[in-house]
Amino acid sequence: MPLYLTNAAKGAIDDSAKKKIAEDITQIHCDATNAPPEFVHAFFLEEAPHMPLGGKSAKLVGSIRAGRNEGQKARITAEMQQSICLHAGLPPDEIVVMIRDTPASWVMEGGEILPEPGDEKAWLAAHKTKEAAQHD
Amino acid sequence: MIISTCLVQEGQILEGVKTKLHARLNEFTNAKFDSNADVKWTEVPDGSGYTAAQPSTSSIVSLVANRSLEQETRISMLHELCELWAKETGCSLDEIVGVINDPVAS
Repeated sequence: MPLYLTNAAKGAIDDSAKKKIAEDITQIHCDATNAPPEFVHAFFLEEAPHMPLGGKSAKLVGSIRAGRNEGQKARITAEMQQSICLHAGLPPDEIVVMIRDTPASWVMEGGEILPEPGDEKAWLAAHKTKEAAQHD
Repeated sequence: MIISTCLVQEGQILEGVKTKLHARLNEFTNAKFDSNADVKWTEVPDGSGYTAAQPSTSSIVSLVANRSLEQETRISMLHELCELWAKETGCSLDEIVGVINDPVAS
């Protein structure tokens, strides 16, 4: 978490564009939130029935940990829409980007409850120490 | 029914393993929520999943509980959920994102 899930019309985003958009999604999220890239998942689907496109070409839904402010969310939304425009060649009005909050305390990754926003560095350090101890 | 959304990378989990996971998730939701699992699988096509901007091997399993959970209960359930997934798939815990959501307030 975060999970950025993009659904698109068939052929609207090719594999090379997906790679570039995934790199941008990771960078944009980390720049806006100071979260580490290890947490960022960017997945792409085509014509997924559970994410109706509503007549658009692409829809990106970001599930992020609750606690980010409106300015951060607006930045993420705008920059990710620009990235899809740039790499997929789609006009802005064909792309919907939405952000949803999920409490960090509801999510487990790496066998541990995720940290609250701002506590990532200590969480990662503790996680790496624990992993190293398990491999000793 | 407990909505159980499973997002996996294409080819990562064989059909036989999916069948076992479905059965284990059903056991889990019956034990914890007294309700069957409504398992919805989504496969992320090859070349379409990235974690930390690298090709992903991560799976997401996300349940919606039928009651609000105390955090201690949720943590215990999440440990059990992630461990059952790891055991059946052979994935490491670092490759598993488990989520147990409270029900949406009506």
